[in-house]
Amino acid sequence: MLEYAFRGLLNGAVYALLALPMTLFFTTAATVDFAIGAYALLAAAVATAIPGPAGILAGLASALAASLVMAVIYVLLKRTSEGGIRVALASFGLSLAIASIVLIVWGTKPFVRQTFMTMFEFGGLRVNPQGLINFAVALLLVGATWLVLARTQLGRMMRAAAVNARGAELAAIPVIGVQCGTLLAGGLLGGVAGLLILHSSGMDFTASLGLTFIGFAAAIIFGIHSPLRCLAGGLAIGVIEALSAGYTSGMVTSMLPSLFMLIVLLSGQLGAGRYSGDRP
Amino acid sequence: MHTFQKRALALIAAVAVFCPAAGHAQDKPAVKIGAVLSMSGPAAVFGIPERDSLNSLIKEGGGTMDGRKVDFVFCDDKTNPTEASRCVTQLISDEKVVAIIGPGTGSGILAAGPVAQRLQVPLLGPAGTVAITDKNNAFFPWIFRIAPNDTAGMESLWKQIVSKGAKKVAIVYQEDAYGKFGAEFAQKLSKDLGFTIVESLGVPYTATDLTPQVTKFRNAGAEAIFMQLSVTSLGASFLKAVNEVGLKVPLYANSGLAQKGFIDAAGPLGEGVHVLSIGNVVYDPTPPEQKLVAIMSKNGFKPQGWGDLLAGNGYMTIKAALSKISGPVTGQAMRDTIETLCGFETLSMGKGCFSKDNHDGWAADATVLTTIRSGQFRSDAK
Repeated sequence: MLEYAFRGLLNGAVYALLALPMTLFFTTAATVDFAIGAYALLAAAVATAIPGPAGILAGLASALAASLVMAVIYVLLKRTSEGGIRVALASFGLSLAIASIVLIVWGTKPFVRQTFMTMFEFGGLRVNPQGLINFAVALLLVGATWLVLARTQLGRMMRAAAVNARGAELAAIPVIGVQCGTLLAGGLLGGVAGLLILHSSGMDFTASLGLTFIGFAAAIIFGIHSPLRCLAGGLAIGVIEALSAGYTSGMVTSMLPSLFMLIVLLSGQLGAGRYSGDRP
Repeated sequence: MHTFQKRALALIAAVAVFCPAAGHAQDKPAVKIGAVLSMSGPAAVFGIPERDSLNSLIKEGGGTMDGRKVDFVFCDDKTNPTEASRCVTQLISDEKVVAIIGPGTGSGILAAGPVAQRLQVPLLGPAGTVAITDKNNAFFPWIFRIAPNDTAGMESLWKQIVSKGAKKVAIVYQEDAYGKFGAEFAQKLSKDLGFTIVESLGVPYTATDLTPQVTKFRNAGAEAIFMQLSVTSLGASFLKAVNEVGLKVPLYANSGLAQKGFIDAAGPLGEGVHVLSIGNVVYDPTPPEQKLVAIMSKNGFKPQGWGDLLAGNGYMTIKAALSKISGPVTGQAMRDTIETLCGFETLSMGKGCFSKDNHDGWAADATVLTTIRSGQFRSDAK
């Protein structure tokens, strides 16, 4: 059981990294960017095309460029309406467009990079060093994001922008600028997640929506307001997936994680309201 | 007669003698053929090679078949059954096609079957899904399969697994109709062939880690693993997990992974994996397949895998049917004629053969067992 839980934690760290940009954008704009999976896909595709470290940089740059497009769309939408749902729908559209571009440019070939052929062995457990790298990167980025949000002036500005945009503007906070900056940071984080997946399991042109959904699930399961909660969400989903693969068979294996999420969300015990500091 | 007129007459006579096809092309009315392929979405891995193969054959034939001008009209079903049905309706109603190669997936064909039946135009499906040619379907008369079905060749693959000494086998399958069918069919075969399925696990397309599944297979004492997957990145990810867990057992895959993309993604981990393939057009082409390779290369296309062969089967079926029809070419005439085709020229392994009761044109002899060696699918000796 410990082996399954350990492997689940390593995988869940990647889910947390996909959830992090959603948490970040929700914290500043009270809506969700559903193109995160597409940024990850684009970064992986570009990094595959260019060998060496330059590929990694180019992958991150491409994810950043894609999120810049989303930022432009966001600004245009904000001019005509305040509706967060329009932003979410537009991000879905952008996600589909990016997936189509990847298909046109790179075709149907999968994006995979082999990094480590030799595994770490300890206590009878063989672990791919890439899994440990993924875990460390996710912890580092979630921790850094939490620090920025909770302990810095920028973090306060970001939270103020979501809670009361008009009030924040009156307090001289550049709300749109902060929100666009968050979108760009989200693009970078999505790109990092894509590169980690590229070096772990790999993906193909169909991956973007699947990655977005797993990231969204990790973001909302324990409450979307905090990076630490999205880390907990990602790890929990990873562990449940691994345990369900280890102890169930057939279609139950993939049903259990969804069932777990449904139960947690329906129970309300671990939802956003109870622990987020809201008034009762 | 002026010299100019004489020369013109001579030229016309020469054209009539040396280009009989051109003469016929003007005699026989042109027909339109539809191609509803999955050129985007998850099944594009098969749809794009199918499109390329078809385009190369059209180019090679100069847009004619049996001296008749033939226009191909393409529609992308986006790997979506609703879109497949819409494409079929549009091509028949607006473009007046008399036969359609496609839709690209089994679910697309099942969705479009009633449309084909209502509008009386045959569909030539490049999909292995067994249900598409089920005689219980009301639209059975209008659906013809231009691929071996999903059970073809599987028995010989499983016989090989057992003959190499594996009695306890684990199965990993992708969570869709293709994956589930393969897992269930293996369960049926297990009784006859004398092996036990110790574990059978479904995985979603976008799984980012498959080590828990492999750990379970290891704990269950699996002596071989069978992969019913067609998503190449998923197949490669599974091999990585096998390497990570350190499970050293023979690996077998159904034809879904007989794609170059799988070899590229798996890298050295793919070496020694046994894969059932529909023909082997890229690495060990048979003489008919070599013809297709030559045609594709000549027309600027690169063979990519068995998608090329299936589209070729569709093209050659249409060509054979048109050459047998002497009267007006309608959907009904095409359907009736295809049912009479057997042993016609093809560009793939196996013998194409349809009849009134059998709409599965290709059988197990269209498949071959291969092993990945030096980064290539090499056909096993028969």
